[in-house]
Amino acid sequence: MTLLGHELRLLSRQRLTIFALVLLACLTIAAIAAGMAEVARQRAAIAAIPAAQAEDIGAVAAFVDEKKDAGSAAYYSFHPTWDAPAPLAFAALGMRDVSPYILRIRALGLEAQVWDGDNFNPELALPGRFDFAFVLVFLAPLFVIALFHDLRSGERETGRERSLAALPGGRGLWRRRTAIRFALLSAALALPFIVAAAVEGVAVATILVVLLLIASYLLFWIGLAALVGRLRWSSVANAATLAAAWLVLVLVLVVPTLANVVINAALPVTQGAEIVMAQREAVNRAWDIPREDTMRRFYARHPEWADSAPLGTSFHYKWYFAFHQNGDESVAGRVRGYRDGLERRDAAGRALGWVLPAVGVQALLTRIARTDLTAQLAYQDRIRAFHGQLRAFYYRYLFRDLPFAAADFGRAPRYEDAPHG
Amino acid sequence: MSAATLIARDELRLLARNRIAVIATVLLLLLTLVAVATSWAHQRGIAELRGRYQHKAEAAFKAQPDRHPHRVVHYGTFLFRPLGALAAFDPGVDAFTGNLMFLEGHRQNGANFGDVRQSSLLVRFGQLTPAFVLQVVAPLLLVFLGYGALARERERGTLRLLMLQGVSRRALVVGKLLAVGAVALLAGLPAMVGFVAIAGQPGALALPMLVTALGYLAYLALWVVIILLVSALVRQSRDALLALVAIWAVTAVLLPRVVPDVASAAVPLRNRFQTDVAIARDLRQMGDSHNPNDPHYAAFKQRVLDRYGVTRVEDLPVNYKGVQGMESERLSSALFDRYSGESYAAQSRQIALVDTAGMLSPTVAIRAMSMGAAGTDFAGHRRFLDQAEAYRYALVQRLNRMQAEDVSFADDSAEDAGADRRKRVAASNWSAMPDFAFSPASGADLARGALPGLAIVLGWLGVAALLLGLATRRLGERR
Repeated sequence: MTLLGHELRLLSRQRLTIFALVLLACLTIAAIAAGMAEVARQRAAIAAIPAAQAEDIGAVAAFVDEKKDAGSAAYYSFHPTWDAPAPLAFAALGMRDVSPYILRIRALGLEAQVWDGDNFNPELALPGRFDFAFVLVFLAPLFVIALFHDLRSGERETGRERSLAALPGGRGLWRRRTAIRFALLSAALALPFIVAAAVEGVAVATILVVLLLIASYLLFWIGLAALVGRLRWSSVANAATLAAAWLVLVLVLVVPTLANVVINAALPVTQGAEIVMAQREAVNRAWDIPREDTMRRFYARHPEWADSAPLGTSFHYKWYFAFHQNGDESVAGRVRGYRDGLERRDAAGRALGWVLPAVGVQALLTRIARTDLTAQLAYQDRIRAFHGQLRAFYYRYLFRDLPFAAADFGRAPRYEDAPHG
Repeated sequence: MSAATLIARDELRLLARNRIAVIATVLLLLLTLVAVATSWAHQRGIAELRGRYQHKAEAAFKAQPDRHPHRVVHYGTFLFRPLGALAAFDPGVDAFTGNLMFLEGHRQNGANFGDVRQSSLLVRFGQLTPAFVLQVVAPLLLVFLGYGALARERERGTLRLLMLQGVSRRALVVGKLLAVGAVALLAGLPAMVGFVAIAGQPGALALPMLVTALGYLAYLALWVVIILLVSALVRQSRDALLALVAIWAVTAVLLPRVVPDVASAAVPLRNRFQTDVAIARDLRQMGDSHNPNDPHYAAFKQRVLDRYGVTRVEDLPVNYKGVQGMESERLSSALFDRYSGESYAAQSRQIALVDTAGMLSPTVAIRAMSMGAAGTDFAGHRRFLDQAEAYRYALVQRLNRMQAEDVSFADDSAEDAGADRRKRVAASNWSAMPDFAFSPASGADLARGALPGLAIVLGWLGVAALLLGLATRRLGERR
């Protein structure tokens, strides 16, 4: 204990070390505060949905109630869906800044709605977010380099290495010094994180996983610094080599960008544009073909409505909604292909994480924070399921020719977000 | 040969003997070449793909059968944002904005299917483009090669030796500047060669290219000056290296991320959901075309009837449904413009905040300059959005007029078995519709957009050069 105390006292006299640790703690706190503020903004936006929705649907109900036409109700009613941030989202915002977390949909063709985005400033999204994941993945290694590049070479250059080695217990010296520096760096990152995670209500198991991730990522860099240190170069050569490794070898900046090019070239996705263009063609064609063809095709897939009364000569909304659903179903294969493409690209990017610790940590953090592509696609699945409920709800009125009164608006299915644990 | 050139030659010879320095330089050159090749191929691929889709969308629009004009309002059309030639050098926000817009009546849609939502998570690590290499990677290489230029001489005591031999401080610093500057030129060369290759493409513009070249030259020169300044000020070369890497990490990696976060927190944007609800609310207050007793539409109808001197819509020489469609599109479009105008204004304020922060980080300033000159910044995207909206409005109103003039009110209101046939207008009308033609920004406009960023980088260069001049005077003094 006294030995550790001595080492701590020695460390406290190194201005560079103290400055680095304080700076890292400040950056961590700032990044966590920024992440929490962003998550709070997103929660506030979600909390503001019901009031605006009640006003909007109230106006629709008022004019639909005059004619009690279920078709108009289905056509004009928008239903909100949302994807609340998981407790850990503050630490790794992932794709939540460029993917919508609120989307309102109608019972019309879903493929023309589900790919819509939200308003965001592309110039602000371009450089990426300043969150805890960024501090850990991008910045923490630089602090490891600052603290570890001259661990041994510094003593050698001042001529103390041999006398230190001659001291009793000299062997444990480097282990002690490494452990102290590792503990202080971990604390600068982990303590603010633990406080924030507790405030956000992150599960204890999740916190432990993140702490493990922090420790292993730091240890990877410390190990690399020790490897370079064994080459017995000068402190300055060590620092240059490690900084270059930060840039290229451990591939924080350069190789991920290169891999991105390779992955996008190797795994082309069938363009999403094709989905919406094909769907629009299928939907609008219904106006130019016999309406019975549309209904026959619809009833073949949805026999539960097949006993509905035949169409007259005038417009009927059940035909309108039937061809919208036919349009969606005609592009189902394309949608699957597009989604497979996205998932393959994502999987390739994450597979790179096995080789590149920086990518691996980023991928893991966004996964457990539920802010990655998988989470986006899961949200899309919930939207699709909810859209199915909306269709079933309105179809009962449309295909059975039931009147749709103001009170029926309250019976419409309500979106339920996935519970986050 | 002057002392300065001798010093420069000596420094370069030393660098050439340093295997790591040579390998690093070669790697950077290769990286730049790869960046130039891939982003050029990427840009051409995108341009080709979007051109093909655009053509397909136009062909589909023109191939429509006889249709009721209002059907065509809902059939709508697709626009694919074209990509300028300089986007191969700096694609800017291209991957972050959607590139497909669906134009239809009564709605103003956003652009969808941005690359960022269909790429792996790696896209958020940065994109490998010549601009990225020059902005972020090249300065770090210069740091590695130049941090010891002056600090090393002092550390080893050769500085005093040189000065004893009559080398002036000025000549020494100028010589080192020349040497590191030569490396900077070499590092920037492949990107500039790529740039010229891009210039061979039709559509590239001389003026913004000149500004871009000048900007990057100033930016790399700035890093050379900063490196020598730090190298002149600190006691040990190790301190020079750590200080320079820290400066680089803060200005090129940290600030470009922190500043946008601050800007987006300072100026909130209204989200799509709230915007849509607010537009619907305003529309209801302006006039409800579903409601026969609505005061706005009742007054409008009376004005139309008065203009033609009739008392019933059935007696109008035009189809009142089309006329009313034009009025309602006019009202809703004015609202769309107001709300999108508010959103654009908020985004411009955010960007203005970021630009001001260019005073703190030259990398932020050069990025704004580079995107501005390439026309791939927010202003360039907005140019497309504005033109797309103008085209949408003109198209929808043209179709509404067609409904007013070519479909009779009686047919339009009929619901008998043959009515559907009578409501349609001939297919030949669709091919008569003008295609969307994007008018790109002029070279002068692009260059003007890039000037503020350029001015900041030049300002930085001036201040850094001044400080280096001051540091030179005190070089080698005992402290």
